[in-house]
Amino acid sequence: MRRLWAAATITCLTIWLSSGCREGHQVRWDQLPPGTVLVPVDSATAARNAALQPGVLATVPAVPVVGWTGPGGRPFEMARRTAAADSGPARRFGTISLTIALRNSAAALEQYPCTSCHQGRRVIMREKRIADAHQNIRPVHPKQTGAKCATCHAADNVELLALENGDHATFDQVYELCAQCHFAQVAAWAGGAHGKRLDGWEGRRVVLACTACHDPHRPAIQPRIPFRAPQLERARSHTP
Amino acid sequence: MTRDRTAELPESPDDGTLLQKPVDRRGALGLLVGGLAAGAAALSACTPLNAATPKEREIRLLEWEEFTQKHYRRMTEKERAETIERLERLAKLRDNQDVTIATTGAQPGVLFGYAFNISKCQGFRNCVEACINENNLDRRAGTQYIRIFEMENGVVDLDEANPTYQHEVPTPGHFYLGAQCFQCADPPCVPVCPVGATWQEPDGIVVIDYDWCVGCRACMAACPYWARRFNWDAPEVPREEVNPDQHYLGNRARHKGCMEKCTFCIHRTRKGRLPACAEACPTGARVFGNLLDPNSEIRWVLANKHIFRLKEELATEPRFWYFSD
Repeated sequence: MRRLWAAATITCLTIWLSSGCREGHQVRWDQLPPGTVLVPVDSATAARNAALQPGVLATVPAVPVVGWTGPGGRPFEMARRTAAADSGPARRFGTISLTIALRNSAAALEQYPCTSCHQGRRVIMREKRIADAHQNIRPVHPKQTGAKCATCHAADNVELLALENGDHATFDQVYELCAQCHFAQVAAWAGGAHGKRLDGWEGRRVVLACTACHDPHRPAIQPRIPFRAPQLERARSHTP
Repeated sequence: MTRDRTAELPESPDDGTLLQKPVDRRGALGLLVGGLAAGAAALSACTPLNAATPKEREIRLLEWEEFTQKHYRRMTEKERAETIERLERLAKLRDNQDVTIATTGAQPGVLFGYAFNISKCQGFRNCVEACINENNLDRRAGTQYIRIFEMENGVVDLDEANPTYQHEVPTPGHFYLGAQCFQCADPPCVPVCPVGATWQEPDGIVVIDYDWCVGCRACMAACPYWARRFNWDAPEVPREEVNPDQHYLGNRARHKGCMEKCTFCIHRTRKGRLPACAEACPTGARVFGNLLDPNSEIRWVLANKHIFRLKEELATEPRFWYFSD
């Protein structure tokens, strides 16, 4: 009997190890689509951070932006949502951590993966229970605009976004969804007056997507206490 | 950008016409002191001969060489390399820091410009925090290059603005305007320097040779934007917080009694990176780029947005614009 238990344990351990030692759901943004390139954000920072914190800021996956061009009609790229919460811009870039500005969206999605309930078939639920099932979402934006879930989310596939013209877009193409109303903002984003550029002022241009900074369900940047005030010799005047 | 004095600047660091004032002052001092050194009792305190330990002796020797150091723009490549080696060695001996001090020159065809979105800035001061960390600013004196002004909607009035707000931001009915060194095309701080320790680089950055500065603060008085800072004491930065990526004209260790200012993070931007403030901004209010590149983001902002500059009537031509959505 003891030998049987040992055999069973070893078998289970082998299966668990061969499956990658981790449970979890296969999410579409884990797989890099063809044409995706890994862009080194900043080799100097990467080298420096690698000494301090191994593995941080090595690369950020980026995809080309379709339908919009940057200044001078030049194409540009957009940093993708990353599944791992501690990789890429979600954790740290530059000199400081930007956990408040950069919504840890991927981690939230991993914590509440849509596909744990929405597995390709319709989920029937009483309307007042829908909010209970999505407690992590604060639907400020839908309340302001009178939108429903299906205004932005594809009803037949929760991992896709629904556009007004009937097309679907992936979460990586979220700018197509936002541009339907916020066309001025998307024009400024493509031009460079809105949003953040990742890799420096010259060379290839990789910018953050809309949802890297804005929570799609609560897009306003939230108030908070600022960094400490300066000790100025004459605080009220701009001249010494 | 009606006038651009940087175009008139010669590129060669060894051009004797660069400075109008006689610059062989320290050379002469070096010769004089060198001749007297052996016998002068007054100098015995700083001679390396009576140092307690070999390390102390080396530090004093290196400090000795600093006296005869030339102006940065008059150094040959070899002298620059020697100066950098000495400064890096001093950092290692004094504080056991492994720093790299670059002397990267301006890229040809590059003129830096900055744009600040007053509609986007929420006053979080993340830029200030990044600036302090990046540029090794004095933690004890609390030096900050960037000031963020909280202003009431409707008018840009710096006298009524509050740069020392400390409450949850953004406050309703207010907007935020950040000011730092604007790297003016016609900088009033440069011609007032009695020793020529500050000048404008070909890419538009106004820099200071900290070792040449005599600390008279004339530039501080001349700047209409209060962009320059004075070191009343030797800056203190905790050893583990020192940024080892340094530039001779930028964030290297300053000493007591010299001026310093924002250099658009010269050690980063000359390598193609963004200034720390632009990279740290959580709202994307800061746009940085090359004004000479018609396809740059900064040029797009200048062409497509409503822009203004601070105190334009002074004709200092700041390369720092404000815009709104």
